[in-house]
Amino acid sequence: MQPKTGERPSLWPGLLGIAGVAVYLIVFLMIESQVGVAVLLVGGAAAVVLAARFGALERMRTSFAGREGSMDIAVPAAVLALVLVFHQDHFTLLLVATVMIFMTASLGLTVQFGFAGVLNFAGAAFLGIGCYTAAVLTKNTGLSHLLVILAGGVMAALIGGLLLYPVLRTRGHYSAVITIAFTLLFKTFLEVNDALGGPQGLRVDGLNLFGWAFNDNIALTETVELSFYTNYVLASLVLVCLGFAFLRRLDRSWIGLNMDAVRLDETASACFGYNISRWQITAFTVGNFLIGMAGALYAMMLGFIAPTNFTFGDSLILVSIVLLGGIGNPWGIAVATTIVIVLPEKLQMIQEYRFLLYAAMVILILLFRPRGLLPRPLRAYFPGWQPK
Amino acid sequence: MQNAATKRAAAVAAVLAIGLAAGVAEAKDKIKVGFIGPLSGGTSSNGLGGRNSADLAVRLKNADADAKYEYELVVLDDECKPDKGVQVATKLAADKNVIAAATHYCSAVAIATVDVYNRFGLPIIVWGAVLPDITYGNDYKEVHRVNGTMINQNETAAKFMTGLGYKTWAIIHDTTDYGKGHNKYFSQYLTENGGKILGTFGVTADQQDFTAELTKIKSLDPDVLYFGGLTPLGVRVRSQMEKLGLRALFEGTSGIVSDTFIEGSGELAEGVLAFREGAPTELLPGGKVFMEQYKKQNYAEPSEAYGPFAFAAMNLILDTIEAVGPDRKKVRDTLNATKGRDSIVGEISFDKNGQNSVALITKYVAQDGKWTVWAESEYAKGKRKLKGQK
Repeated sequence: MQPKTGERPSLWPGLLGIAGVAVYLIVFLMIESQVGVAVLLVGGAAAVVLAARFGALERMRTSFAGREGSMDIAVPAAVLALVLVFHQDHFTLLLVATVMIFMTASLGLTVQFGFAGVLNFAGAAFLGIGCYTAAVLTKNTGLSHLLVILAGGVMAALIGGLLLYPVLRTRGHYSAVITIAFTLLFKTFLEVNDALGGPQGLRVDGLNLFGWAFNDNIALTETVELSFYTNYVLASLVLVCLGFAFLRRLDRSWIGLNMDAVRLDETASACFGYNISRWQITAFTVGNFLIGMAGALYAMMLGFIAPTNFTFGDSLILVSIVLLGGIGNPWGIAVATTIVIVLPEKLQMIQEYRFLLYAAMVILILLFRPRGLLPRPLRAYFPGWQPK
Repeated sequence: MQNAATKRAAAVAAVLAIGLAAGVAEAKDKIKVGFIGPLSGGTSSNGLGGRNSADLAVRLKNADADAKYEYELVVLDDECKPDKGVQVATKLAADKNVIAAATHYCSAVAIATVDVYNRFGLPIIVWGAVLPDITYGNDYKEVHRVNGTMINQNETAAKFMTGLGYKTWAIIHDTTDYGKGHNKYFSQYLTENGGKILGTFGVTADQQDFTAELTKIKSLDPDVLYFGGLTPLGVRVRSQMEKLGLRALFEGTSGIVSDTFIEGSGELAEGVLAFREGAPTELLPGGKVFMEQYKKQNYAEPSEAYGPFAFAAMNLILDTIEAVGPDRKKVRDTLNATKGRDSIVGEISFDKNGQNSVALITKYVAQDGKWTVWAESEYAKGKRKLKGQK
C-alpha cells in the first residue's frame, strides 16, 4: 500500500498542459508565415504568463509531480500524436528527431553540470566522437547498428577518460578551460586527419536494425506512406526516454544524493567522508556516454558529418540548452531544446537577422527567469509528498 | 417561375465565369525556386551577396511581362555548417512546390547535401562551392555547378606566377576542405612548373594570431606567400604579415576576391594577387546590365565575387522552367543538356557530371582599392611593380 500523504493531485491539469503544448507545437511547426510565427510567439508567452498568474502552472506542476507514471506515458504519446500529424513531412520530422537527439545529449550534460557540478564545455566534441565512431564502424564493420549506438557512447566515455586527470586536478574556471581546449583540439585533429575524412567529412550509412532499413519510407498502404524520418523520430524517442528514465533513477538513488552533496559543497562532503573524485568521475563518464550515444544516432540520421559540426560554438549551444532549461531539471531540458532547435529554424524567413532576434529572446528569458525556464525543484524524498 | 430561376442561375454562372477568366488572365501561376547560402557567420558577406543576386534574377524575371510564371524565391541559411545544410536542404527539397534551387557557397556544406537533393530529386545548381568532389564525386543527375573547381584555378595560378619569375613560396592554408584542397592542387601545379615550396602551414579557420607561422616564414624568406582560405582569415594574415615585416608578395585564391577583403586590409591590399573562375563580370555585356540593375535595387550589401554566379545560376533555372514548365524531372534533364548558353559569367556548358566545363580563370590584382583584372592593371602595363618583381 502506498502511504497516504494527503489527497492525490488530479491528473487533468497535467494532461491538459501536455495537450496544450502539443497542439501549440503542431500549429507552430505548420505555420510558415512571418506574421503567424510572431503571433504564436507572443501568444505563447502571454499564455504562459497568464497560466502562471492564475495558478494553472502550479496545478500542472503538482499534477506532474504527483502523477508521474501517467505523465511518463502521456508525454511520449503526445510526441507520437505529433508524428502522426506530420507523417509525410520529411523536414518537420527531421527537426523533431534532431530536437530529441539534442535532448539526449543535454541530459548527459545535466548529469555533469546539474548533478555533480562538473563543468563540461566540450559537449559538441563528445557528440562528435559518437558521430565519428558510428561513421567508422558502419563503414568498416558489419556490427549491428544497435551496438554501434552503444559503441558511440562507450567511445565518448573512454576518450572522456583521458580528460579526467586534468579535469579532476583543477577547479571551476580552470577545468572549464581544459574542456574548451579539448573541443578545439578535437576539431583540429579531425581536420588534419585524412583517415577520418579530413575537413571534408565522412559519409555515414543509415541506421539498419535487423533488416529494418531506416532510410526507406514506410509504406503503410499503397497510398499512405510515412516519411523515412519517422524511423529516426521513433529511435530518438526511445533513446531519449531511456536517457530520461535513467537520469531520474540516478537522481533518486543514493548516487544522486552523493552527487548533490559533492556539487553543493566539496569541502563539507569530503569532511563527511565522501569520495569526491569518484562521483565526479562517475558523472563525467556517464554524461559523456549519453552524449556519445546521441551522437551515433545523429550521424546515422544526417548521413554526412564534418568537423565544422563540432565547434566550440556548438558546445556552447548544448550548454545554453542546459542553462535555459534550468540546471538539473530534465523537463526543463525538454522545453529548452525545443526552443533552441526549432526557433532559429522558424525564423528562417527573416534571414540574416534571425540570430539577432533569437539571441535577444534567450536573453529576455534569462532576464525574467534567471534560474532557467523550469528550475530544479526541491528533492522529493517520497513520491507524491506535498509540503504542508 | 421556372424561367426566372434559370435566368438567375445563368446570370450567376456568367458572372462567375467572367470573374474566373479575368483571374486567370491577370495572375500567373506561382512557382517557387530556392536559394541556400551562408547568411550568418564568418562568410555571410558572400552569402548575402549571392542571395541578393539570386533575388535580382527573380525580380527581373517577374518584371518581364512575357514570363509565363510568377516566381517566388525561398531563401534559407545554411550557416556554412554541414548539419544545418542537411536540415535546410531537406526543408527545401521536401517541399514539392520548389522546382529547382541555386545552393551553397561553402564546400563542406555542398558535399554533405548532394545526397539529399538526389534523394528528393530536386535539381540544383551550385553557385559558389569549389570542391571538385561536389560534382565529380558522384553521378547524381540533380547536381550542377556554374563556377569552376579549384583545380583549374590553381593550374592557372601556378603557371602565371612562375611566369612572372617568382621562384620560392611559403603556403598558409586553412584546414577546411577549401584551404586543404587549394594547398593540394597549388602545390602540385607549382612543383610541375618549377616553383619551390619552402614551407606549408595549416591553420584553423578561426585562428586570430599568426605570429608563430609568420615568424617561421620570415626566416624562410620566400618570394611569395600563397594563402588558401577565405576573406576573414586573409585579412588577418595580410595585416600581421606587415607587422612582422615580411617582404613576400601576397597571393590569394578565389576566397579573398571580395570587396570585404579590400575594405578590411585597406592600403595593404594594394598589389595583392588572386584568381577566380569565370570571366570578369564587368567586362561582359550582360555583366554591365547586372551591375546596373543590382545598383538600382538598392541592396544593403555588395554582390561580392560570387554574386554573378548566383545570378547566372538562378537565371538559368528560371529560363529552364520557362521553357519546359514547372516539372522537376524535365528541368533536371534540360539542365543536364545545357550547352553553350550565354550568361553573365561566360558561356555555360555542363559536362556529364553537371560541371560547367568552360573553365575560364580570371587573374586579379588589387589596385587602388579595387580588384582589377590583371591584363588591364597598371602592373601588367609595367607602370607599377609587384613586390619583389624583377
